[in-house]
Amino acid sequence: MKNALPGTTALLSICALLLTSCGGGTNTVTDTAAITGTSDAIPIGIALAQTSNVALLGQEGFVGARIAETYFNSKGGINGTPIKLVIQDTGGDEAGAINAFQTLINKDKVVGIVGPTLSQQAFSADPIAERAKVPVIGASNTAKGIPEIGDYVARVSSPVSIVAPNSVKAALKQNPQIKKVAVFYAQNDAFNKSETEIFQKTVKDQGLELVTVQKFQTTDTDFQAQATNAINLKPDLVIISGLAADGGNLVRQLRELGYKGIIIGGNGLNTPNVLSVCKALCDGVLIAQAYSPEYPGEINKVFRQAYVDQYKKEPAQFTGQAFTAVQVYVEALKELDKKSKISTLPLDKLRAELNKQILAGKYDTPLGEIAFTPVGDVIQKEFYVAQIKMDKDGNTGKFVFIK
Amino acid sequence: MNITLFLQQFLNGLSIGSIYAIFALGYTLVYSILGIINLAHGAIFALGAYFTYALMGGNFGFNGLLANAVLPIKLPFAMSLILGSTLAGLVGVAMERVAFQPLRRQGSDPLLTVVSSLGVGVVIVNLIQYLVGAESYTYPANTYGNLPPAINFGSLENPIPIRSVQVVIFGVSVVIVTILTYFINRTKYGKAMQAIAEDPTTASLLGINSDRFIILTFFISSFLAGLAGTLVASSVSIAGPYFGIAFGLRGLAVIVLGGLGSIPGAVLGGLLIGLVEAFVPAEYSGYKDAVAFGILFIMLLVRPQGLLGRRFIQKV
Repeated sequence: MKNALPGTTALLSICALLLTSCGGGTNTVTDTAAITGTSDAIPIGIALAQTSNVALLGQEGFVGARIAETYFNSKGGINGTPIKLVIQDTGGDEAGAINAFQTLINKDKVVGIVGPTLSQQAFSADPIAERAKVPVIGASNTAKGIPEIGDYVARVSSPVSIVAPNSVKAALKQNPQIKKVAVFYAQNDAFNKSETEIFQKTVKDQGLELVTVQKFQTTDTDFQAQATNAINLKPDLVIISGLAADGGNLVRQLRELGYKGIIIGGNGLNTPNVLSVCKALCDGVLIAQAYSPEYPGEINKVFRQAYVDQYKKEPAQFTGQAFTAVQVYVEALKELDKKSKISTLPLDKLRAELNKQILAGKYDTPLGEIAFTPVGDVIQKEFYVAQIKMDKDGNTGKFVFIK
Repeated sequence: MNITLFLQQFLNGLSIGSIYAIFALGYTLVYSILGIINLAHGAIFALGAYFTYALMGGNFGFNGLLANAVLPIKLPFAMSLILGSTLAGLVGVAMERVAFQPLRRQGSDPLLTVVSSLGVGVVIVNLIQYLVGAESYTYPANTYGNLPPAINFGSLENPIPIRSVQVVIFGVSVVIVTILTYFINRTKYGKAMQAIAEDPTTASLLGINSDRFIILTFFISSFLAGLAGTLVASSVSIAGPYFGIAFGLRGLAVIVLGGLGSIPGAVLGGLLIGLVEAFVPAEYSGYKDAVAFGILFIMLLVRPQGLLGRRFIQKV
């Protein structure tokens, strides 16, 4: 037998690399109903995460886009022509998002794209659409600098700088005695980094003392060391910027280790999926919201009902935002079609005109009335703060709006 | 760092490390017998956690093929743990038959077997996602009966709280390592496994049916993975189909540190990595993985055979 060690060592490193890349790999989930056939339906690209550890957020968005497709097609689509969603899985990483964008733009010839799921992915993939002059509407990208990527990049997800401070104010309302604040954030994610900056700034602006800043990775699940460190500094408020699984675990472990104060969760925890992680211990967590299922607008009632009928629970913010993104496309296309028949426009002209129309319009959506700044950032009026209320059994719960 | 914090992090580290240890033992067993690393080990780890979840009567969310499916039974945690790990063990055996044995029969390069195991791992992870979606699942709150959420190892004035579940995990790990050590060193089966690890040809000349013991090895290895997966899930939930991958990678660091193929090495390596991770300063806590792999790298340079591994003897 030959000396096995050098081979094994090389192998371990190769495999480690392989495993990591498999984790976030790109699998094409092609919707059979969508791109087969030669119908003249108008293709809108959906580039969200269907696989990887971001799949949860992506799937929430996907559901919203689907509901929008069904609803607007039942209302006659674009002045009689239906829309069809073309789905490309982005996985959880940048490479996956780039692949999905390229396929949608070059192969599927979509008029515009909704996505990608993470801001981190948007910084890599959006420039591709910008170069190809294809409109992109981010439905969950809230980091600083997304619309500034280019003329063709807009978003319906309000930037974290506007949404996040609301929850700190709500916490101070609940407990005006708050003095010391501990901040946790996932350092491997652009959005959470951007969010924590806003939170930390808000903490200082409110005259509170930032006693510790603890970092973790979105793939971490064990936070006992960090939680212990923070609790020993006796904070009255803990602010977490992470995603559902890691954030939920952090909440759970903080509570189990005896932390009694208020916990604020960032936008990544803004999903009912977090409830299944921290269960009864989620109770009381405050999260600022850009969407409320209870918003009284007509379109929201329709959307909410369709979602509840199908899934027997309230829609999450990401679902509402993805619905809104598709709605913006539909209404902009309708408006454009009135001016010049879109079926007669060549694709590049259609994409360019559509982009202008998107930015010019006003939309009555489940998020309330929205419009866009010239650079493509959303202008939204209503924001909310929700508090998690768990049922007695600790297995189910909901976001109660406290504004 | 004051003494309270030190003790607290020390106990945290022990508990995390004990899980790394039983997870890495699975790698080690297969490596001892076949000389390969089974890269599907992390996927089996996740699978074990899902099995236990289903056996406890947990239902699955709406994103997979098994949307809202729930088993008609609802077993207590201890029983589900053993049964779920056994199922994971059986999957390990099936994996051996499908992905390892045919290659071994053909006398393929061990590298091919490792690639094959990686393939199995990816298939399992994707299958899980296809069947039950990417949601996270959490065991019921009363999994450990009426244990308080944390146990105080300090005094009232100077509390050193450790999560009860971590204490349970540490206890279970100690029991498992003891049983396994006894099994390997004191029983006929264990000795036969050692003989095969030493020299498969001689072992078969002595009348040991190596094929049977390879199956047994895969069963025990995958059982341990399933058990570790369930214990971790009881502490931090099943974070999704990918949740075994990080453990799979860290497990590699553990066995290289401890010494490939060494059982005490896997235990020592696990505890050391757990402790080192617990003592990474707060401001660098996001770099825990980097620390684990940094240690692995240094170890490879300074002592390639690991802490307790044997020096590789060049055989002809």
